[in-house]
Amino acid sequence: MRELALYREWRQRRTADTQRIFTTLLVMVALMALAAVLSRGVFLKPQNLLNLIFQNAILGVVSFGQLLVILSAGIDLSVGSVVGLSTVLLMIFQFLGLPAALLLTVSIPALIGAVNGYFVARRRLPAFVVTLAMMLFVYSLAQVISGGAGIYSGLNGAPLSPLLVSFNRKGVLGVPLPAIVWLVVLAGVALFVRLRLGHFLFAVGGNERAAFLSGVPVTLVRFLAYVLAAVLASIGGVLAVARVGEGHPAAGQTYLLDSIAAVTIGGASLSGGEGTIIGTLMGVLMLGTLNNIMNLLNVSPMMQPAVKGTVILVAVYLNSRRERG
Amino acid sequence: MPSDRRWRSVLAGLNDYSAALVLICLLGYGALRVPNFLSEMNLSAILYQYSIIGLLALGQLLVVLTAGIDLSQGALLALTSITTALVMVKHGPVLGTLAGLTLPTCVGVMSGLLVSRLRMPSFLVTLGTMGVARGMAMQIANARPVPIHHEAFIAFGSGTFLHIPISAFVWVVACVAVHFFLTRRAFGRHVYAVGSSEESSRLSGVKVAAVKLTVYVLSAFLCAVGGVIWTSRLGSGSPVGGQNYELESIAAVVVGGASLFGGKGRVDGVFAGVLIFGVINSVLNLSGISPFWQGMIKGAVVLLAVALTQIRARAEAQATVGMADA
Repeated sequence: MRELALYREWRQRRTADTQRIFTTLLVMVALMALAAVLSRGVFLKPQNLLNLIFQNAILGVVSFGQLLVILSAGIDLSVGSVVGLSTVLLMIFQFLGLPAALLLTVSIPALIGAVNGYFVARRRLPAFVVTLAMMLFVYSLAQVISGGAGIYSGLNGAPLSPLLVSFNRKGVLGVPLPAIVWLVVLAGVALFVRLRLGHFLFAVGGNERAAFLSGVPVTLVRFLAYVLAAVLASIGGVLAVARVGEGHPAAGQTYLLDSIAAVTIGGASLSGGEGTIIGTLMGVLMLGTLNNIMNLLNVSPMMQPAVKGTVILVAVYLNSRRERG
Repeated sequence: MPSDRRWRSVLAGLNDYSAALVLICLLGYGALRVPNFLSEMNLSAILYQYSIIGLLALGQLLVVLTAGIDLSQGALLALTSITTALVMVKHGPVLGTLAGLTLPTCVGVMSGLLVSRLRMPSFLVTLGTMGVARGMAMQIANARPVPIHHEAFIAFGSGTFLHIPISAFVWVVACVAVHFFLTRRAFGRHVYAVGSSEESSRLSGVKVAAVKLTVYVLSAFLCAVGGVIWTSRLGSGSPVGGQNYELESIAAVVVGGASLFGGKGRVDGVFAGVLIFGVINSVLNLSGISPFWQGMIKGAVVLLAVALTQIRARAEAQATVGMADA
């Protein structure tokens, strides 16, 4: 009986997910069709589509982390600051050589994620406030380390590793490396949510008490979500350094709101337990397409927040309507 | 352990005033250890800046009490500022102020309707209206500040009465009014009820949608009031100002003891919460601490304050259990 009930619930979730993905897909196709018409077909050229993936790799990686946290019914406001801190760390640690620098760039944010996770999962403080405090803290830390400005070399004036300098220009089979990093992260996250721990993430976000009573290690699962979010944000930071060759505390400012927007446009619910990887992927691509369209249409950068805001409102409206209907 | 239990009930008793206690400690530290902290110039500088955050925090409290959140506050402040300035340049200060108060309030009505009627999550709705309001402000101003030359209007923002900035009086009056409505009127009880349990409130006949709409409109209106004062003090309308003010107001509300899950929070706590940030800011500046470090200290304070709230909540729960035992 229990197996059957579990199976039914799983089926229901699958159906709901499919519907959700379908709505998102429709909106995305509509947006892309619009872009194709406006650009007289240029948008659909393989090179441009590749560019779309390439340009949104950082946001894509950060958004997957945000998705994990949002699935657990939390939110991570510190991801943007963590991206900024990671760019600074990667730059500063260049004198240690690339592998050591990368290791430190990822492990220090992991520690930050662990602190977030400790307060949210173990001490049960509201995620919004904990990660808000962490956002202020990390941004300030990055400013202290970098002296508040952009930095272009490590301690002792060590230059940026040649691999990172040419990272954006290299590719495998014509696919640029940042896009490959994004795809690898996508595969990793997709694998993770299919593991037992990943399933637990949905359970905890959907109904924490039920999950706890069924023996799900609630604290561990939520803790892990914050650590992973910070680690993914730091990978985003590495990609940002590869793109602009600079470490800057403010390098990640846009990724906070954009990552939340991408995840929710992709059909995830902020109350947790609902959301898909493919949805988030589409959310990121939609934001990217939207930017593309606005540039094609010469929408002034001043109006762009308004357009983005409207798109968020419409997407969330479509999702909320389907949920009740 | 009886002594332990008594200690816990003392803690729970302090519960309601801990933000005020922290504020008093900070003021004491500032007065004794920081030179020039008590100077009239410094104290009024704190009041000038934080009475505006205070107005925002008051609106945020109303929204947070209903278990919502308003992320559009900073953008609404900018929208107010630029609308006021633009209309004032052409049609004089009275119409300017009216326009500045009206337009953001309309955006608040939009947020409120989306949250209350369409039942969309407040976080995303106000994230969207934040973009809309900021974009509008940038667009109508062409991303440039608009200077104002009306002496009387400027005098209002930087004016004082009995050596106290007028904006501080506006804030205090708003606090008293909101406190009155929250504690002495049915509307206030409905706000707490909706935040505690929307379903029970609905079943008890509370007009949930109307209550929710009202708090978002009030939040936007209080932003507009803050925005007018801010503009008048700056002497120009700015479309880029007010960035992250919503985060400061949320932080102040939380430090003031309100719960983001709704139904818990009071005006006096938020009043103290706002001033805590004002005093910390001033102490850090006067002590010559680099602005780079200040974010870390503020972040730590927010975290500490929330951790404290949670310990208090536990102590409270245990104290109640203790009373039930006795």
